[in-house]
Amino acid sequence: MKPAPFSFVAPESLDEVVSALAEHGDDARILAGGQSLVPLMNLRLARPEVLVSINRCHELDYIRRADDRLVVGALVRQIDAETSPLVRAECPLLAAALPHVGLPATRNRGTVCGSLAHCDPLAELPAVALALEAELVLTSAAGERRVPAHDFFVTDMTTCIEPGEVVSAVAFSRQDPSERSALHEVSNGGHAFPVGGVALRWASADGVCTMARIAAFGVGSVAQRLVDAENALVGSDLGSEAIAAAVAAARAAVNPTGDIHADADYRRHLVGVLLERGLLEGEAP
Amino acid sequence: MSDEVQVTVTVNGRRREARLEPRRLLVDYLRHDLGLTGAHIGCEQGVCGACTVLLDGRTARSCLHFAVAVDGSDIRTVEDLADLDELHPIQEMFHQKHALQCGFCTPGFLLTTVELLERTADPDEAAIREALMNNVCRCTGYANIVDAVAEAAVELRRRSPT
Amino acid sequence: MSVDQNGAVGQSVLRREDDYLLRGQGRFVDDLPTPLSTLHLAFVLSPYAHARITSIDASEALALDGVVDVLTGADLAAMVKPIAAQIELPGYSFNTRDVLAVDEVRFAGEAVAVVVAESPYLAEDGMELVQVDYESLPAITDIHAATDPAAPQVNPTVPGNVYFEGRFATEGVAAGFEAAAHVITEDFHSKRVTAVPIEPRGCLAVPEQPSNLVFYSSTQIHHLLRTALAEFLDVAESNLRVVVPDVGGGFGIKAALYPEEFVCAALALRLRRPVKWIQDRYGALLTDVHARDNHYRVEAAINDDGIVLALRAEIRTNGGAYSALPFGCTLETTGGARMIVGPYRITEYEYTATAVATHTAPVLAYRGVAQPVCFMAIEGIMDRIARRLELDPAEVRLRNMVPTAELPWTNIVGVRYDTGSFVESLELAMEMAGYDEFRAGQAQGRLVDGKYRGIGICSFTEVSGTGAPGWRARGLTRLPGFDSGTVKVEPTGKVTAFVSHAHSGQGHFTTFAQVVADALGARLEDVTVVEGDTAAGPYGTNTFASRSAVTGGGALIRASEKARLKLARIAAFMLESTPEDIVVSDGQMHVAGVPSRTLSFQEVAETAYAMNTSDLPEGESFGIEETDFYDPPLVTMANATHIAQVAVDAGDGTVDIEGYVVVHDCGRVINPMIVDGQVMGGVAQGVGEALMEEFVYDEDGQVRTATLIDYLLPSSVDVPNFQIAHIESPSIDTVGGFKGVGEGGLIGAVPALVNAVADALSDLDVNVNTKPLRPALLSRLIREAGG
Repeated sequence: MKPAPFSFVAPESLDEVVSALAEHGDDARILAGGQSLVPLMNLRLARPEVLVSINRCHELDYIRRADDRLVVGALVRQIDAETSPLVRAECPLLAAALPHVGLPATRNRGTVCGSLAHCDPLAELPAVALALEAELVLTSAAGERRVPAHDFFVTDMTTCIEPGEVVSAVAFSRQDPSERSALHEVSNGGHAFPVGGVALRWASADGVCTMARIAAFGVGSVAQRLVDAENALVGSDLGSEAIAAAVAAARAAVNPTGDIHADADYRRHLVGVLLERGLLEGEAP
Repeated sequence: MSDEVQVTVTVNGRRREARLEPRRLLVDYLRHDLGLTGAHIGCEQGVCGACTVLLDGRTARSCLHFAVAVDGSDIRTVEDLADLDELHPIQEMFHQKHALQCGFCTPGFLLTTVELLERTADPDEAAIREALMNNVCRCTGYANIVDAVAEAAVELRRRSPT
Repeated sequence: MSVDQNGAVGQSVLRREDDYLLRGQGRFVDDLPTPLSTLHLAFVLSPYAHARITSIDASEALALDGVVDVLTGADLAAMVKPIAAQIELPGYSFNTRDVLAVDEVRFAGEAVAVVVAESPYLAEDGMELVQVDYESLPAITDIHAATDPAAPQVNPTVPGNVYFEGRFATEGVAAGFEAAAHVITEDFHSKRVTAVPIEPRGCLAVPEQPSNLVFYSSTQIHHLLRTALAEFLDVAESNLRVVVPDVGGGFGIKAALYPEEFVCAALALRLRRPVKWIQDRYGALLTDVHARDNHYRVEAAINDDGIVLALRAEIRTNGGAYSALPFGCTLETTGGARMIVGPYRITEYEYTATAVATHTAPVLAYRGVAQPVCFMAIEGIMDRIARRLELDPAEVRLRNMVPTAELPWTNIVGVRYDTGSFVESLELAMEMAGYDEFRAGQAQGRLVDGKYRGIGICSFTEVSGTGAPGWRARGLTRLPGFDSGTVKVEPTGKVTAFVSHAHSGQGHFTTFAQVVADALGARLEDVTVVEGDTAAGPYGTNTFASRSAVTGGGALIRASEKARLKLARIAAFMLESTPEDIVVSDGQMHVAGVPSRTLSFQEVAETAYAMNTSDLPEGESFGIEETDFYDPPLVTMANATHIAQVAVDAGDGTVDIEGYVVVHDCGRVINPMIVDGQVMGGVAQGVGEALMEEFVYDEDGQVRTATLIDYLLPSSVDVPNFQIAHIESPSIDTVGGFKGVGEGGLIGAVPALVNAVADALSDLDVNVNTKPLRPALLSRLIREAGG
């Protein structure tokens, strides 16, 4: 398992990155943390001709507030987001999710944006992006466009990133301090990818649910927002009947497939179990 | 198309320069170019952690990095832990607690422990077990490693009380 | 002559291996310095489970700068004879394997060509460029479907895909079933696993001097490998030296002889250059031997007291596409059939045991061999007896066990249990686990706070230290049983002990030194152990099947005693006494009752090596270097009880292990710390096997678990803490009283965990008779039962 040959550039600015992408087109891949890409390259399942490393683009290493958004630059490592007071304060759902991502050593190197761009159906962060109604910032030589998460994730390992574009940042909605959020998942073992999981956040006032955002992962070809389940909660008292309705709606909405790790029925069942668990155990603000 | 690239890194405190093929994995550079064979190759998929090194102070899979992509970094390997006379306290506790058998995965566990105890001086068992997920051991059943890490934390706190 | 010192055996001596391993100075095969001229290999693996090779075009690969050669099956066939396990069992279908497939491939991952190149990277570049055309053929992977008359034939010399079918029956089985108050019948399914040592396999062949080859290999069986290389490469065995460097875990899968080793050695001899091959994880998962794809149907005739009157077992094991060397595809088959009776008084027994061929990787030894499954079966039966008769599972076991007072006892297949503690280990484990309290708590219901809680027992015997007669009984007529030791007292009085074993993490440098120190009367720190080198010390059977303490320990004790006698003879001569009156203590010798006149080992050795003015006694030869061999009995039986407590989440089906107790009896314990380490490591592998590990082929024989992302290993958060206790019932049949310990942890863990989960869900009336027990499966059982 050794990667095929490639050539390597490591520009020091976003401008240079996009010009390198413009020059190499389809042959180029972005190298950020590399924690998803390099295993595929070692197996020669990915064989880019040119790797464009963004690891020297320090301008992309930032986490900052911008209006109602928390913007995370493309070079922000998962561990830095996980331990960032800003993330904990503004996007507690993201902070809750990050310890579940990969393993400590891969979080040390892997980036938040890289995980989103990789678009693994088993990954936590795409679901978090859906639940936090994130916008992905795609930059190319032609300029910048912002894509809502629900348009960004297309299917298994496929996003709407066009050749020549790089995910330069992700802008998550800042959570209201009164919100509660949770991420729950199940795997077949400590190192294993999850076989299913749910990311959710919700708010209530005077005993009535005022907002709910729920997204599932591992239960379809791509992370999925569960709007019917949200609707079952909003306006309810979040009591057992409402939760049961949300669970039923969640199970009805997903279309999982079975694989060697879990069958489809289990994954459908699991979405409900984890949603209920989240609603009952979700961290208070 | 894969022209060699100039790389400068600091490895165990020593500046190293090389011209490398871009695809050369950091682990192969360390092992076969520098002779630092303490980092082992167990899977080249990022799962097992036998190749763990400290990259700018943090554990990293040296099988998942191209040497050229860590240009400018500071790298620390297991060979840097002990001095000629004495083992590092973490190593000593692994010895005392029988926390290694075949020893193939051990360098990775040691560096994971260095990182853990730098971040958390007094981890509880759950935190230790969580951190040790970084690495796979097929010999020990982990329990003795968990003990060794806990004892090493005590020893390190004793040596540098805060 | 006597030894008078505080014994090193029995002490938790810290390991000598640790210092260099902790410093990152271990020398695993990929760490060895290689000559600059070394060539590297990459094997082209078949993507098909069953296919005809229609053409191989290596021209593009050969055109690549740095690729030295590409060889195919036909090329290698001219250098290496087809390899074959030698099994002499009635009805066994002999079969051979070409080291690179010729014409036909029989499992996904079988090598069809090898690329020789100047670096591992270039070898893989070349591998990609080798164009192989295949004509895909129908494949069969399922253990039952394999013997369907319509199934594709795996191997031309294995008719009907049956490698072997063994039968055995005592006379009273039918009568036992007729007399039974109840018959308990169950099917037990075990899915395929593989060992996954963290170090993949590898070898380095270095030609040295004309016609000599030094062969470094991550093998557990260096002497057997050397003999096989000589035999199949047709070279003089005396011109081969096999050296085992540090090995990063073996667990049995490195006790196989693999095609890559023969190819590597053959190419080094042919090309007259060092040749190195380091396996990658993908290759390891596809081509290392596999294990445990087994099915057991067990029927127990019992009376109203839950006593087993007769037992029937129908055992089927998947041997894969070839009978792997050296133990062959019948290893699990004969093992399970012979071991299932365990610690129980089974007096009427009948088995049919079948090894089938499929288009899957060959199956051979993995820690525990058949025992995790055969004990999952018999221990599952014990629990089912308990549920049928509303007895406690522990009580059923106690009623059926052979009590210590009746030992030695010979079981129904002729294996003698010389000593043991079946009842005592169960009782102590129950006490440590708080078994009775746990059962009392369960009376309120097993579902508490959303989790079903259960407790599971496995009481078992552990086959270890098998001697030649034990292998003969299983058709392995060419497998020795003995091991050897040479004990050399050097001129300085230091001691070098050579033993015919090879370590892969067991701590041999420490434990064998403890054994020699006591047997010789030397100081522990003066004893150095050398092993893993066919040029250092005589022949032996090597390291697998929980044998090194028994066979190596026995051989070293015998060699040490011979060396000690010689020391005593010389010392007696120097002290003008008689050898019988010499007392040896901590490397010193004196005449009994005259402790003031002592001689050190060095003083005696200087005489032996003619390095002083003393004479040797008449007729005494120079030097102090003694060798002996030790073949243990048919089988050396260790025993243990494991008790696991689990909680199964009613919602998501996940299993938490909330308590784990082991009471182990491996006879005389050499080093309790190391024994505990063996037990804990084995249990961890058992946790993996019981709860998560499964190697999956799809119906076409394609591998679905080709990475460690899909083949799951237990991590630090999956494995529990342990309570371990030892009972020591020294063997009276072995030299030293040792019994083996390497496999017990894994053997006990699988049944204990499966039984614990079954117990947790027993109120739901669901049948837990398979493993692994993953969340999806358990959740389905719970949902189907309305839980």
